[in-house]
Amino acid sequence: MIVVTEKCVGCATCMLVCPSRAIKVEGKAEVIQEKCEKCKKCLNYCPVEAIKWVE
Amino acid sequence: MRVAVVGAGLGGLLAAANLLERGYKVDVFEKLPFNGGRFTNFHYKGYEISTGALHMIPHGSKGPLAKMLRKVGAKVEIVDSKPNGTALYRGEEIKVSKKTFPLKSRLKFALYCLKNVFREVKLSELEKNLDEFSAKFLRAFLGWSLSLTPSQLSLSDVYPIYEATYTLGGPGIPIGGCKAVVDALLEVMESYDCRVKREKVRAIRMESYGLSLHFRNTSERFDAVVSDAGPVETYRLAGLNVPKLEESRGIKYSIALKEPLIDHTGVMFTLDTRRICGVNQVTNADPNLGERHFLMAHQPMITSNVKFEIAEGLKDLKEILKGYEYEVLVIQSFSDGWPVNRARAGRDCSNETPVKGLYMVGDGAKGEDIEVDGIAIGIERVVKEIEKEVEKR
Repeated sequence: MIVVTEKCVGCATCMLVCPSRAIKVEGKAEVIQEKCEKCKKCLNYCPVEAIKWVE
Repeated sequence: MRVAVVGAGLGGLLAAANLLERGYKVDVFEKLPFNGGRFTNFHYKGYEISTGALHMIPHGSKGPLAKMLRKVGAKVEIVDSKPNGTALYRGEEIKVSKKTFPLKSRLKFALYCLKNVFREVKLSELEKNLDEFSAKFLRAFLGWSLSLTPSQLSLSDVYPIYEATYTLGGPGIPIGGCKAVVDALLEVMESYDCRVKREKVRAIRMESYGLSLHFRNTSERFDAVVSDAGPVETYRLAGLNVPKLEESRGIKYSIALKEPLIDHTGVMFTLDTRRICGVNQVTNADPNLGERHFLMAHQPMITSNVKFEIAEGLKDLKEILKGYEYEVLVIQSFSDGWPVNRARAGRDCSNETPVKGLYMVGDGAKGEDIEVDGIAIGIERVVKEIEKEVEKR
């Protein structure tokens, strides 16, 4: 599962690159789990390493 | 001479292109899967949404960045804003020129400048003495360009910026947005057979022969290192005490509009708002930046409550765009590791570091100008320092 940690600054880079439009940003990023296809693109693109993968 | 550039943001790429042009061997390292840092864009819902900066260059085709791009052979077309700016005041859009401001306020400003050149007097002292329009314009201008308020700034912080705007003129919009500048620089680098390496630098160390960069499993030797990672990260990588920096924070709105709000390529400063300081309809300069009219709005963060700040900004937008059909595509906030500016106006770090051969470029180590134009000035300095070092050898 993709989770957004406290480090998120809300820059929305993850939302811009998410191919399944599964991220919402209003101040901080939020993953819409039902839409998430777990491609981990957001995790790689996050400039502040705020997105983590948890089993 | 082998030079490493840490970070492929605008500063890193611009430094690399400059050094390659002078015949150095350059390696660029970037930890993220994309180039350009806070100065590039992604295609989203039919619009070119930038990762940070507005699609603007502070001093357009006459500024230090444009000059440097031409020098290194990076092909970027910049449309200078015309007019430079207007102001939305009491429901009317007013063209802004020197004469827009009452003579009394202009004299007050001149007097304030003369009196306080060498003193740390806040701009809020000036603001108090101006007429309503001039005071509100000052606030909007600082909020838009620096993401700061008059009480956070003194004359010495902003005077170089005022002077540069006076002599070099207002902003411009690069055709293709921020990414066009990054792509043009990558093309220049490629012509020297230099490509960005996707590697995270773990440490920078001083050695007897120069400097070494440490990666997960390997390390490499260099004669000089130019860091575009920002002062805090650079010092951390070098094992130095991290400097305390006051950053500037802000929120940017990307808005799709059915009908145009603005009929020119300049900024419209919004004066009667809670937070939003200005808007710019970038599709007026480059229609390819969005499917329809693309408006960018910006506000500084006054409190640290991001949700509250966004709520205030959205209220402003509702008023500015009353009667218009619009969709807020993306709301981006910028702070901490991805701020508007790593060091707020007038507080940039030196390009040199305590480590010999380690230099800093980019936001946080800008020269006497704002945003990307300040970055270009900083790089010019670093290139000169490296040349001097080479001559000594």
